[in-house]
Amino acid sequence: MFITAVSGLVVVFSRYFQLGEQWNLTTTLDRWSLVSAAFAIGLGLGNLTRIHYRNVKRRREHWPFSLYLIIVMWAYMILGLYQDVEGTHFRWIYDAVLMQLSATIYGIIAFYISSAAYRAFKIRTREAAVMMIAAVIVMFGVAPIGDAIWANWGKVSDWIMNYLNVAGRRGILLGAYLGSFAVAMRIILGLERAHLGGIGTGTTIQ
Amino acid sequence: MILVEGRVFQLVWLIFFLGAVYVMIRRARAGLPIPEIRKIPGLEAIDEAIGRATEMGRPVHYSPGIGSISNPQTIASYAVLSYVARRCAEYDTRLIQTNRQITVHAVNQEIIKQAYLEAGRPDAYNPDDVRFLSTWQFGYTSGVLGIFQRERPAANILFGAFWAEAMILAETGHHVGAIQIGATANTAQIPFFVAGCDYALIGEEMYAASAYLSKEPVLSGTVVGQDIAKMVTFAFIILGFILEQVQGENNWLRVLFSK
Repeated sequence: MFITAVSGLVVVFSRYFQLGEQWNLTTTLDRWSLVSAAFAIGLGLGNLTRIHYRNVKRRREHWPFSLYLIIVMWAYMILGLYQDVEGTHFRWIYDAVLMQLSATIYGIIAFYISSAAYRAFKIRTREAAVMMIAAVIVMFGVAPIGDAIWANWGKVSDWIMNYLNVAGRRGILLGAYLGSFAVAMRIILGLERAHLGGIGTGTTIQ
Repeated sequence: MILVEGRVFQLVWLIFFLGAVYVMIRRARAGLPIPEIRKIPGLEAIDEAIGRATEMGRPVHYSPGIGSISNPQTIASYAVLSYVARRCAEYDTRLIQTNRQITVHAVNQEIIKQAYLEAGRPDAYNPDDVRFLSTWQFGYTSGVLGIFQRERPAANILFGAFWAEAMILAETGHHVGAIQIGATANTAQIPFFVAGCDYALIGEEMYAASAYLSKEPVLSGTVVGQDIAKMVTFAFIILGFILEQVQGENNWLRVLFSK
């Protein structure tokens, strides 16, 4: 808790006082954080190996996938150590497999959006009706068919996005920034200690 | 000058904010009345979600998002995780907790272990259910999707910083029949949680979670202080708008803010 409080105060000091800026305290803290994060990679590797090794050993359901994960993970790591991250085979696996799989998962968002939108746009309340109308206008504003129906869809859509949407977003952001600031203060003052493995002020959560 | 130029007003604002919070904490400690936090349905629903999972004999899934350990949203999620883990321990319900960041994973492991200990059920804690999946954003996402399909959680609590994976996680959770609570301050993802989850916490609501769940007056005091700062900010916005119309761009408020 003491380390948390001191680190927080150091960052505040560096931001507002010239001496803090000259000493470059925030950069030093950031560097320490990067070093500890690098060590943590080993932890992750250990955790994955332990969990999936147990799955294989106890022949739990879907254990062949666990075996596959262990083999691929360690083989790829050894390949990276042997070849360097710019090595031909290492790079090829990265570009041809990892990137493609990522793009695939990202691509399926479109289908999920459609099914979620179907549920969200069912007009059950007044708010849902407003959302539905706004969404239809914005959709017509950006889809080519909108222009073919009425030339001013784009203008109405832009107005909704640039005024109503931006105003709402900024309101939420403002509250969120102040909220995150309050959380930081609670941690620096030691009022919130959940990150240390405790709960709140140490009193019973009701 | 001792202070960094251009940040003097920011420091004054910080001191005002600290002052407001300090006064409210003092009032709370002295037992004087402070405004109550309004009902937040998303947080009220946590018990309902865990209760449902208990009745159905299915697990609860908790994700702290994919943000780093220093992300304020991740930090805000620790208190909720602690609460959820404690409730799961009390109800003897399995909690599956997944992580993208290994440093967050290490912290969450400790939080859950401690919560089980405090609930008097250290034996029920299963380290294999606190899982690090992948540092790769969509690797983590597909890992969670796999867990949803195999383990079919009855409750899915998404509380933290989410980006493009928000919609995928919320929709898959819906398809496996989980009651879902989504909370994020990333404005681009909030509509996805509103559309995909049964309960959504918007922006600042997630930061009030620890105070709300603990019902601790001192923590509530910080939320009230935050609200006072918010009201003063809005007053400045309105004043700024009027001054911009009357005095133009070189109005005194703009000059004051640039100090």
